[in-house]
Amino acid sequence: MAEISPHAIVEPTAEVADDVVIGPFCYVGPKVRINSGCRIANNVTLLGRTTLGERTEVFPMSVIGAAPQGADEDDGECVMGVDNAVREHVTIYAGANKPTLIGNHNLIMIASQIGPGAHLGDHGIFDNCTKIGAEAVIEDYVRMSGFAAVGEGVRVGAYAFVAGYAGVIGDAPPFAMLQGFPVRVRGLNTRNLKACGFSDKDIHALKAAFRELFNGRGSEVNCDALNRLAADAGANSHVQKLAGALKTALAKAGVGDVQDD
Amino acid sequence: MSKMTDLTVLREIDPAARIAPDASIGIYCVIGPDVTIGSGTKVNRRVTIVGHTRIGSNNVIEEGCVLGAFPQDLKYAGGPTMLHIGHRNLLGREVTAHIGTESGGALTRIGDDNLLMDGSHVAHDCYVDDRVYLGRSVLLAGHIRVQTGARIEDLSGVHHFVTVGRFARVGAHTPVRRDVPPFTDFQSFNHDWQSPPTVCGVHEAGIANANLPKEQERELRFALKELFVNEAALQTKIEQLVNMGVEGEAAKLCEFCLNSLQGVYGRCRELYRGQAPPESRQPPSPEAGIDIRRNKQ
Repeated sequence: MAEISPHAIVEPTAEVADDVVIGPFCYVGPKVRINSGCRIANNVTLLGRTTLGERTEVFPMSVIGAAPQGADEDDGECVMGVDNAVREHVTIYAGANKPTLIGNHNLIMIASQIGPGAHLGDHGIFDNCTKIGAEAVIEDYVRMSGFAAVGEGVRVGAYAFVAGYAGVIGDAPPFAMLQGFPVRVRGLNTRNLKACGFSDKDIHALKAAFRELFNGRGSEVNCDALNRLAADAGANSHVQKLAGALKTALAKAGVGDVQDD
Repeated sequence: MSKMTDLTVLREIDPAARIAPDASIGIYCVIGPDVTIGSGTKVNRRVTIVGHTRIGSNNVIEEGCVLGAFPQDLKYAGGPTMLHIGHRNLLGREVTAHIGTESGGALTRIGDDNLLMDGSHVAHDCYVDDRVYLGRSVLLAGHIRVQTGARIEDLSGVHHFVTVGRFARVGAHTPVRRDVPPFTDFQSFNHDWQSPPTVCGVHEAGIANANLPKEQERELRFALKELFVNEAALQTKIEQLVNMGVEGEAAKLCEFCLNSLQGVYGRCRELYRGQAPPESRQPPSPEAGIDIRRNKQ
């Protein structure tokens, strides 16, 4: 039987697995599903159609599945994968039109906010006070530093590092280190790539591509270099992925002279 | 406490927790088994205190604080590390402080007479000395030392292993990536990576609060002017000052700057990466706490 504090309020229709721990003063809404191994600390509020994957850890004062600000219905959906840690004072909004999706093995630190309909990948680390806008897409292995913000509907590529106080207002390429407001590409996130087991050959190829693509200030993409890299079928697969992401980003922003495939 | 609150028993205090009889605990609080709370401490509503946390006397802990939770650090192995909070601190709403990590000295310490405003965060293995002011939502990353009397304004973030010197001031919304020398005013006006925050002048209020003897103050002002009007060739200028035979605060300032230069990226505490810093072995200074009263007279 689940270990639920007598001071917690769990609605009778909520689905709670057998070995879940729920601390005092929690509220678990009627449409919430909590899978096995989850540990919910005290004063946590779970609302909407929220699903917590196996072994999710939720720390005190967090709110998961909150209705988007301004919406009056408590019916949004939020689906979380396995092994996530949601720290103190975090707010994860539930998406009304499309669900908020959070992958696996993420660490979401104190006072972060994840907007409605946002889509987080796997193995992300989001530092304190990170704000992720509505319907933003964060790919796998992204690291975000304190106070970083991602705008609405923006995509942050895999293995990217977003520095503290950065404001990502347009799509950000994968493998990049991003800093400033508006955000600029500072270079290749070599440290994260090494930690994630990229070979030296891949890292060298990406480094060369970054040097060609971005000018000294990292604020705009060299379109000639981009077209050349995208057309090179023999290029490194990671470089191809980078070029593809940049082309999509530029097409979305409606800037640059990019050839269609 | 009002009679109303006394009648409401909606709080969960572990019977093993040691709480002074005249400490007051508000409703919806959760207090863990290894917690010690000293006399006269007022814990407001919805506060969570867990872990091996020791809180001294006459503190005020406001709504929504979470103290003594696990560090947000992947190297933490789950050991019984500690959080110590001294006396007469005011912790604003939703302040968070974490216990230490085993490899970083296993102790997070907040001294006496500090003012931590709403939403500020003291991470694992931080040492916040006395009479420190942390503004709203100030984030201290791990392994930081904030020395006595320092003032960090709203929304600033401090990088791992940074030392903020005595009576220094960090301006609002500043990303602090290197050590902040004592008695200086450290600011950024532009978050572009090409113009990182720098020392922008002397923290006058800090010098006033430190109550230095006239001669020391004069020497300190001279040293600050020499070193920071232009930060180029800092090491040479420090050596010149040392050769001139500066004493007291000016000598301490030179030593601080020299240590920072010898560290990594201007952070002297980087040298303690992966080991317990000396602060974790020192007991709190005996004069801590009486300082502020002496100043007020």
